[in-house]
Amino acid sequence: MGNTWVALKGMLEYIGLEVVVPPPITKETLFLGVQHAPEFACLPLKINIGNLIEAKKLGADVFIMAGGTGPCRFGLYAQLEKEILEDLGYHYDSLIIEPPDTGYWQFLKQVKKIVGKASWWRVFQGIRFGYQKALAVDKLEKLVEEIRPRETVKGTADKIFQNALQIIDRAQNFGELEESYILSSEKLRHIPQDERKKVLKIGLVGEIYTLLEPFASADIEKKLGYLGAEVRRSLYLSEWVNEHLFLKAKGPSIRDFARPFLNHFVGGHGQETIGAGVAFANAGFDGIVQVAPLTCMPEIVAHNIFPEVSRDCGIPVLNIYVDEQTGEAGINTRLEAFIELLEARRKPDGKVVSKPDAVQGVAQDVASPIPREAAQKAANKEGPDTLTM
Amino acid sequence: MSLKVGLPRALFYHTYYPLWQAFYAALGVETVVSPETNKGILNKGIKCVVDETCLPVKVFFGHVAELCEAGADYLFVPRLVSVEKKAYICPKFMGLPDMLKASRIQQPPLIAPVINFVKVTPLQKILDECAAPFTRNRVKINRAWQKAWQEQKQHEENLRKITPHHDLTILLLGHDYNVYDRYINMDLIKKLQQLGCQVMTAAHIAREERDRQIEKFPRSVFWTYGRNLIGAAYHFMEQPGLKGVIILSSFGCGIDSFIDNFIIRRLTEQKIPHLNVVLDEHTGEGGLNTRLEAFVDIIRWRRDYHQGYVSPHGQYLGSAERNA
Ligand code: SF4
Ligand code: SF4
Repeated sequence: MGNTWVALKGMLEYIGLEVVVPPPITKETLFLGVQHAPEFACLPLKINIGNLIEAKKLGADVFIMAGGTGPCRFGLYAQLEKEILEDLGYHYDSLIIEPPDTGYWQFLKQVKKIVGKASWWRVFQGIRFGYQKALAVDKLEKLVEEIRPRETVKGTADKIFQNALQIIDRAQNFGELEESYILSSEKLRHIPQDERKKVLKIGLVGEIYTLLEPFASADIEKKLGYLGAEVRRSLYLSEWVNEHLFLKAKGPSIRDFARPFLNHFVGGHGQETIGAGVAFANAGFDGIVQVAPLTCMPEIVAHNIFPEVSRDCGIPVLNIYVDEQTGEAGINTRLEAFIELLEARRKPDGKVVSKPDAVQGVAQDVASPIPREAAQKAANKEGPDTLTM
Repeated sequence: MSLKVGLPRALFYHTYYPLWQAFYAALGVETVVSPETNKGILNKGIKCVVDETCLPVKVFFGHVAELCEAGADYLFVPRLVSVEKKAYICPKFMGLPDMLKASRIQQPPLIAPVINFVKVTPLQKILDECAAPFTRNRVKINRAWQKAWQEQKQHEENLRKITPHHDLTILLLGHDYNVYDRYINMDLIKKLQQLGCQVMTAAHIAREERDRQIEKFPRSVFWTYGRNLIGAAYHFMEQPGLKGVIILSSFGCGIDSFIDNFIIRRLTEQKIPHLNVVLDEHTGEGGLNTRLEAFVDIIRWRRDYHQGYVSPHGQYLGSAERNA
């Protein structure tokens, strides 16, 4: 899922396992998934099935998948995938990891089962290493998000970022990782930019898979960047890991921002979607884009509530659903229209962010209005989104 | 002068109406129920929510709009998170009161207690909240609850009574609000009865039996409707006689997309004929009639045709009719 593989691979290799990274998701993957998944299933499931079929052809025989206890569909993904693949004659051993929220010890035991002989210390360090990689990737990605709308030559930041992913992936220990991070972030900072350009700030919220996997969301984040908007997501992998795996409890949760609009957990990330929307609005963002798989239940609840958030907080919201029929062209037009709307709304005297250096400090504050590390201690969660390998 | 509580005839009303009505009646509170779903109500509902919303929630909003126009002093819209220990209802039920507040419907105050038996909301708290606008007298409240609970039990027992025998039994698998809403399902039960079928639903199967059957499923099914339907399907598979299954699902329902797939796979393995009817705003009645007739005909025709192959125990295994 997105760049998740860098972190996961880092973790497993550190522990001493050999890892085959599945080929990147393509139209073909999705096509395979759509053929065999139930029509009204959500997109992540369809892509997962496609992934698993492709991985089988490459010789994989175990799949690791996160479980869950509801209320959303994710908790039954693994079971459904197993049955569908079985029907197709692909036999997989599946390891279903229940999320740590249901019991930390249980979780560690399951991890141990996968890694076999490695010592506990090694496993622990491996998890830390994977997390550090995720953190490095996320920090670089945030930089890229700032640079995209401002760079003089479009695409430079993304090129450097892709390269950075490779370097980070190759890092074998904490020292090398640190080095590669510093090197890449320096490279990014030296990209020539239009310092005076006024850019819009857009908060991207929604369902985790579509947020983290560019293929699933038709690359909305990048598109918005090239259309001249600085994008901030409501969710980054390292934060997610921090909350769910390390169960860090610090400060108020992003869900608290959802009140009074959405006062109850609704499965998936529905409440976070509303909460992040409100937080972005409070932080002076120009607009919000919500992205979700078609038929995604928590996000439909959020979507029904967004009009009120929009009225109350005075911020325009664009809702985009994706599925296998999503057309690039349609999304492009809608994004362009949305950007135009935001441009028109912005007062000429502009509460605008001008150039990255001058507002570095401010940008930091503005950019993270959300207590990212805040833990959600609610008893129920949808499990980790995907750990398919 | 007396205050009226509005009960939208949608979603969980179809499961719990005896309970709700008896409770308020025992408290001496008048209730108004929206009329049965009709085209007008559906259209109102469609306008209130975003297009991607599933049909039953659209219907619910239509009923609310109808009630609000008719004038109710309160609306009873519980936040039904879960009605049993190990299972939820659906994310949409969890956000229902919030979606309602965000809609543009002019609405009276809501009575919206959180009902969550996964985390165990104390019953007393729920009851107090339901009765809050009218009385704080716990004795009265608890007595009303006792009475209402009796009614509900009785109702559920009545539902379990099996109707006279026919040669063909059809198990109708669907969420209560689809099974009992005659407009939405185009009077499916009646249609089947007219075709000479005995209709069974998940409501015919006792809770204990369902819990026993659901154990066969390899993982925990954490939706009440999922447990009901999969449990009923497993139970039905064990029953002798000529039979078929109709799976009634809503367009855009996230839960059905998974549950139906699980059920259909198992029915196919057992060679039990089944038909999947997906309800949406534009399902045509003519098409449904034809499909039902064909389905029933084929099951009977196969029996007659294969007379010789019927096992001495009368167990008939027709091959799967995959119409999904
Ligand atoms: S959150 Fe949405 S996409 Fe994820 S499992 Fe639930 S319905 Fe599917
Ligand atoms: S269970 Fe399905 S039909 Fe019912 S409210 Fe949820 S998504 Fe809609």
